[in-house]
Amino acid sequence: MESRETILQVRHLSYGYHPGNPVLKDVNVSVRRGEKIAVMGANGAGKSTFFLNLNGVLQAETGEIFYEGQKTGKKNLNELRKHVGFVFQDADSQIIASSVQAEVAFGPMNLKLSREEVRERVNQALEYMDLQEYRTRPPHYLSGGEKKRVSIADIIAMHSEVILFDEPTAALDPLSADMLEEVLEKLSGEGKALLVSTHDVDFAYRWAERVLVFDQGQVIADGEVLSVFRDESVLERAHLRKPELLEVYEILLKKGLIRENSYPRQAKELAKAMHL
Amino acid sequence: MIFHRHRRHSHSVNSMDYYASQSGIRHWNDSYKVISACSILLLCILLNQPVISIAVILTMGFMNVKVNGVSFYDYTGFLKIPVAFLILGSAAVACGISRSPAGDYRISLNWFYLYVTEEGIKQAAELVLKAMGAVSAMYFLALSTPAHELTGVLKKAHVPRIIVELMDMIYRFIFILTEVQGRMKTAAMSRLGYTDFKTSCYSFGQTGGNLFLLSLKKANACYDAMISRCYEGELPFWEEEKQLKIWQVALLAAYEGSLIMLVLILR
Repeated sequence: MESRETILQVRHLSYGYHPGNPVLKDVNVSVRRGEKIAVMGANGAGKSTFFLNLNGVLQAETGEIFYEGQKTGKKNLNELRKHVGFVFQDADSQIIASSVQAEVAFGPMNLKLSREEVRERVNQALEYMDLQEYRTRPPHYLSGGEKKRVSIADIIAMHSEVILFDEPTAALDPLSADMLEEVLEKLSGEGKALLVSTHDVDFAYRWAERVLVFDQGQVIADGEVLSVFRDESVLERAHLRKPELLEVYEILLKKGLIRENSYPRQAKELAKAMHL
Repeated sequence: MIFHRHRRHSHSVNSMDYYASQSGIRHWNDSYKVISACSILLLCILLNQPVISIAVILTMGFMNVKVNGVSFYDYTGFLKIPVAFLILGSAAVACGISRSPAGDYRISLNWFYLYVTEEGIKQAAELVLKAMGAVSAMYFLALSTPAHELTGVLKKAHVPRIIVELMDMIYRFIFILTEVQGRMKTAAMSRLGYTDFKTSCYSFGQTGGNLFLLSLKKANACYDAMISRCYEGELPFWEEEKQLKIWQVALLAAYEGSLIMLVLILR
């Protein structure tokens, strides 16, 4: 796990929408290939701004971003955008074409790929997200979950190495949320680094390897899931709470019903960890 | 209550788009459909015969209801709008105003006479038929071709890119705007914002202003999403290439040929 190389590195990043009012203050983060990072924090803590900086939509005055060791500046912003994909929270903000296949083709077409290559990528992305039957349908006739799948297919077609998800489960029903988690597993399996911004503490506990906590523009915690969620002061500052399963674990531990240090992350691991 | 009367109106725009996206001939070549509709429209106007106009109204109506799959009830609903305009317009053509008594039928209003002549009525009727024929041909196009294909045809016709791209984006956002406006209106109605005329005007104004601000915010988010996917100033939308079949061209030629023949026979 530790031998994975760093793919994206942020150093001393400070950003403000208006001068003198920094939204991000001196952020330093490294992302390794294939990592699963949950980005958390109160509303307005700077998570979305951080993401928009990471993929080159916003450019900071101070600080540097390195992709695969190369420094990214105004000249090679498109390189950053090509390799770091961003799935927006509101799928309607992202979808601009009048049919699903035109929408998924938008990214590859912008990369000036050949028609054959574009068609190949679109087919692949639609298959990945199980959207083949919606190929020629206009996006405004799709449901919320289907639109979300389309917005993810958009980014898959761009073959990004790092994918940022801005609160992806926010408007999804449980079935769609499950589908999303399956997609995240598939993407991780292909070695893509995933950063998911979320308020869902239980989801982060279940899925992430690493948690990044923002508070008022600064990173106040960056580490393993367990160490972050056991730190009460961090949770309080960032308006978070302990994951349900962690609370359950601690209660059961006190009653002597569960093996120490077993820390089940999902409900199904609970049975194995308990003295039954 | 009185403000529900117009709800069918706002659904018509969505419905036309819906019919286009499920039309039986949406897989036909888009340039062909545009050229067909425009040439039929031109023929109808140039030939200037009531028989032709009626023929076009009926054949295009048949195409719309059977091939494009529009329900008869909805189609008559679509036709109501142009008919309303035509009635007003043709009244202006048919009627005249004069100081002294004139025309075949007249009403005396104190200062002047309002009259119609037989000739005027005939002209107005022919005009209505001609216009309805043209409108039917246009509906044939609108109900069989989704908007993005129409803009694709314009692009092929070398209309400036910026106009075509704006049309594409405006079309996409009409749906988002109507959805958001619908939601805001429902929320306002739940809080009695549309109980009487005065309150409705106020709520409508507030909704309108809010919609504008939301659109500005959304435009920013949309731009961010576009540049995240490497947008560089052009919107190269993917267009499906549709095969043109010879028999389709022959069909169009036969149809227009028979219209012309009809005129010659009647002479």
